[in-house]
Amino acid sequence: MNELEYLIIVIIVMALSTYFTRLIPFVLFSSGRESSILNYVAKSTPPMVMMILVIYMLKDVNYYSNDPAYTLLSLAITIGFQVYKRNALLSIVAGTAVYMLFVQI
Amino acid sequence: MIRSAIKVSLPIMFGFVPLGVAFGLLFQDLGYPWYFASLMGIIVYAGAAQFMAIGFLSAGLGVIEIAMSTFFLNSRHMFYGLSFLESFGNWNIRKLYLIFGMTDETYALLTTIKVPDSYLKERYYLYITLFSQIYWVLGCTIGALLADILTFNTDGMEFAATALFVVLLIEQWIMVRRLLPFILGFISSIIALMFFIEHMLLVAILLSIASIVFLRLIKSELS
Repeated sequence: MNELEYLIIVIIVMALSTYFTRLIPFVLFSSGRESSILNYVAKSTPPMVMMILVIYMLKDVNYYSNDPAYTLLSLAITIGFQVYKRNALLSIVAGTAVYMLFVQI
Repeated sequence: MIRSAIKVSLPIMFGFVPLGVAFGLLFQDLGYPWYFASLMGIIVYAGAAQFMAIGFLSAGLGVIEIAMSTFFLNSRHMFYGLSFLESFGNWNIRKLYLIFGMTDETYALLTTIKVPDSYLKERYYLYITLFSQIYWVLGCTIGALLADILTFNTDGMEFAATALFVVLLIEQWIMVRRLLPFILGFISSIIALMFFIEHMLLVAILLSIASIVFLRLIKSELS
């Protein structure tokens, strides 16, 4: 097996493996059956996952800066814009621009 | 509908393009032709797994280990599907693609946005998912092509993904207005951080879902 063949096999295996994880729930719970507990879980998952993703990201956001104050201030700007303007793009760009400024100077 | 989908998915662009560029740059270090970075973005389409793949490839890891590691790294996606059992519609190619395209970012966006009444939900989802993948593939390709000449300093741009999730968390709060899931998510994250920092994301999601099922069962026992 030469290097390119290895790369192609790895890509195919990873593609199948990734797709498999995403497909499982749809195969296991193929629609037609109503389950109140499953509905409840499905409804509660997004807010839980969002909370977890935010904490997960914050866990290692300080790659370049050692100062958590940069992160906190950028977060405050993002949150502030989102709460007052409700414009996702604006909040993200503003927070990220400020963070990049902090990190690069 | 397409314009609206582009507008709604722009925040994902800000996360995916720089992240994809970072992947492409790193991938080029392995010395393969640039278009394999694009190919990975097209058929694997998983941020964390693709970064992990760079390590696999340079270590020449076995295929079975790679399959297993990819599966475990992405296993949180199993729970994402639960939120779309109904709304992805009937089995057809569109649904297969929507399932394929479910990354952390698209999941977060699709569960948060409100689909205008005049739009067919599955089609709107399809456009958003498709544009998101285009941003990702673009990023991977640009990174791989520019590996030698990139001069723009992207340090700190990774904050965009954090900002996206923060924005969507606020929107979830405005939509859901129930404290319990947020508290459970928070507590699960802290426990996972303390004891399973290596697999924090998966453990936290498992814990939070287990605890919400548990609380629900207790509640129905009592009533």
